[in-house]
Amino acid sequence: MRKFFYVKLAVNNIKKNSQAYIPYILTCIGTIIMFYNMCFLATAEGLGVVSDHGSLRFVMVLGAIVIGIFSVIFLFYTNSFLIKKRKKEFGLFNILGMEKKHIARIMLWETVIVTMVSLVTGIFGGILLSKLMILLLFKIIAIDVPFGFEVPREAVLITVALFAGIFILNLIYNRLSVRLSKPIELLKGSNVGEKEPKTKVLQTIIGLLCLGAGYYIALTTESPLEALTLFFVAVVLVMIGTYSLFTAGSVALLKILRKNKRYYYKPKNFISVSSMIYRMKQNATGLANICILSTAVIIMLSSTVSLYIGMEDVLRTRYPRNIIVSSVSVTEEKVEQFDKYINDTTDSMGIEQIDVMNYRSLTLMASQTQNTFKISTDASGISGSTLLFFISVDDYNRLSNTNYTLEEDEALLYEFRAIVPGDVLDFNGLELRIKKRIPSFDLDGYMSAMLVNSCYVVVKDIPTISTIQKALEQEKQMQQLLSYFYGFDVQEDRDVQMSLTTQLRSNLNKEELQCSVDGMEISRASFYSLYGGLFYLGIFLGLLFIMATVLIIYYKQIAEGYDDKERFEIMQKVGMSRDEVKKSIKNQVIKVFFLPLVTAVIHIAFAFKVITKLLTVLNLTNVPLFAVCTLATILVFAAFYTLVYSLTAKVYYRIVS
Amino acid sequence: MYLLEVKNVKKVYTTRMGGNTVQALSNVSFSVEKGEMLAIMGESGSGKTTLLNILASLDKPTGGDVLLNGKSILSISEKEISAFRRDNLGFVFQDFNLLDTFSIQDNIFLPLVLAGKTYDQMNQRLNPIAKRLQITDILSKYPYEISGGQKQRTAVARALITQPQLILADEPTGSLDSRSSDELLKLFTEINQDGQTILMVTHSVKAASHAKRVLFIKDGEVYHQIYKGNATNEQMYQKIADTLTLIATGGVRDA
Repeated sequence: MRKFFYVKLAVNNIKKNSQAYIPYILTCIGTIIMFYNMCFLATAEGLGVVSDHGSLRFVMVLGAIVIGIFSVIFLFYTNSFLIKKRKKEFGLFNILGMEKKHIARIMLWETVIVTMVSLVTGIFGGILLSKLMILLLFKIIAIDVPFGFEVPREAVLITVALFAGIFILNLIYNRLSVRLSKPIELLKGSNVGEKEPKTKVLQTIIGLLCLGAGYYIALTTESPLEALTLFFVAVVLVMIGTYSLFTAGSVALLKILRKNKRYYYKPKNFISVSSMIYRMKQNATGLANICILSTAVIIMLSSTVSLYIGMEDVLRTRYPRNIIVSSVSVTEEKVEQFDKYINDTTDSMGIEQIDVMNYRSLTLMASQTQNTFKISTDASGISGSTLLFFISVDDYNRLSNTNYTLEEDEALLYEFRAIVPGDVLDFNGLELRIKKRIPSFDLDGYMSAMLVNSCYVVVKDIPTISTIQKALEQEKQMQQLLSYFYGFDVQEDRDVQMSLTTQLRSNLNKEELQCSVDGMEISRASFYSLYGGLFYLGIFLGLLFIMATVLIIYYKQIAEGYDDKERFEIMQKVGMSRDEVKKSIKNQVIKVFFLPLVTAVIHIAFAFKVITKLLTVLNLTNVPLFAVCTLATILVFAAFYTLVYSLTAKVYYRIVS
Repeated sequence: MYLLEVKNVKKVYTTRMGGNTVQALSNVSFSVEKGEMLAIMGESGSGKTTLLNILASLDKPTGGDVLLNGKSILSISEKEISAFRRDNLGFVFQDFNLLDTFSIQDNIFLPLVLAGKTYDQMNQRLNPIAKRLQITDILSKYPYEISGGQKQRTAVARALITQPQLILADEPTGSLDSRSSDELLKLFTEINQDGQTILMVTHSVKAASHAKRVLFIKDGEVYHQIYKGNATNEQMYQKIADTLTLIATGGVRDA
């Protein structure tokens, strides 16, 4: 009977606080479903049919870890909000004669109920949805769906363990926060006289500097390799900037506005400026969180979506031809052997080679000063170095349908990001006159051309290339030979292409010809499973972050509502009409809630360039596509944000009036 | 003509689910002359606050009428009511009702800002009032930094700055210690002597003893009233206390 009493009380408490508890439980269920599904995809046997399931599983494990960490932080945050709001209630229990251990018992039951409801519903929902999820994933990575339904035990166990852990952690936190406070404090709750926030000049300046530096890096980084490392520096700087400007900068700005008497003592500004100072104090961190989450969601969604949509582009950049044979350091005789065996193989399979593209070339890394190139002996990294790519004029003319003739001391030059001043190339003393600078050079897509500064040099013939190489590599013992590239398109379908690739691979290896054979079709499968997996993960995490944003907004609105209720009443008493008060509050609330979104869009605008650089590392060079995807994502997100805002605003007005 | 006339005001509350009705005011009539200081007394639940809310145009009566300068405040439209309240009425509340987001000066300015006055105009009005209420030194402070007495003086300043026809005070000494209460009541008397009409609702005998006239409300009706005449505050205190005893013990009307 007695035990029953606490259960009843716990159920009642949850019911009474349903306004705060229902979203909390829904969030728990949502995160559990998502986490279970990630674990499911990481462990499901059904995934075995994907040829490259290793990398796909890896992506999913990564996703599960991110969701796991996020769930811990997020549910903890939500719970602390709940308990803050309920302190008064516990204080009342305490004063009515309940000991703290009794309160603890109620809390235990509440936790048990919330845990049971969320875990059972979450896992059940997760299992039901898992089939849909795997269908979706297979659709995305373009693979036929196998039959069957499975519930991996590990996935269930990991999910239960993680979330039971989170709930226990929350329970411990709640018990501690009640135990450590006195009844009178509990009763007063959050209602302690609030001080006006101080102007933090230093923090504002630091915030401005960090944000400026972050933006500067994002705007000035040119090479994708630099972008790779500097991007994270920029992200951290912008995050610091966002947090300090939201907390300190906003207050500083508002106080400046308040000092301007003509602006401040206008009915509209008077109330909004002074209340905003307090609002910003209470909400700055939450708003900064929303801002950063929103930025993350938009960037993640837009880049994974454009990677997925742009996959064909990516494949063509990476594979200029359907079938590619390439080998480094080959002699002239070997080249003939390559040609022979490749032709034999296609002939025996009855396949016609279309658009054959074959050439010999030499690729060297050199350090560049003005127009002089040297092989650097110290490993000072890639920055400051230039990639030199040599090809004979015969190969060049044949491949690009041109008709150049060159003397031994002449060269054609195409500069990709590298800049060579003057009209002479100096290779460690050996000088070549630049006969012409060619405007484009589309032979070589798959080289690391996008990553580093490169010079493409067309010279008279292969002996000339060797001479240059000797001049450059004087002190080196081993001389690298030219590499050979042989690529062609075929008209046959996917299966034939795949078997041709395997056939070529085994034939050439049998003849002990060191080379790599790549087929676009074989790669397409693994590209799809990797980029499709990322796309899937992007959508998934995007949803999760959106859910988090929604919940933060919701709780902020509730908290604001209770704070504003009193203010609302006072203002009415001193002569503001209901409508005026409502309008003024609405105005402020809109400003507060759309500030993060606007800031997020500004962040993205500045980050756009550096992200396009990063995408080139992933072989996506289609900037317009990315621009469209980003814009679309922002629009969808903004629409969603507005929807959430207007829904939660209703709850807010119900509290206020 | 009376400044304020209350005629047969009734107020019936209906509980939300229908069914039960509660009669807060059954039939209240009285009038206030210009320059008067009137106190309305009654026990908790006698309908004092309901009456004050109706006078403040924050609530509408179920029956009867309220006239300010001969004009019914019930006929004022919802749109104009706030401006009306701002221009004609000043409020002093038990719990001060200062906005903690504003400095003392800005709290006092609030009604004027809403009325669209410029900073210079507001400042001109503020200076004499602040000097008189002795709050000049704390103008730049915030409500959480000052004492209860200072808060209530701030509220009085906010009520006075619009130069209202009538100041309505709801238990103005309710949250103050005795010294601050005395100061506030002295202040009320002074303001009243300058011609400001004040109507306060209270159940503090001491507060009521400063008024020129005291109305007693019981069970939603005006039960009795006494005039101060030439009596001192102490004599008035005694009179009120006697009346309250009579009312509480179920005594006769017109003692």
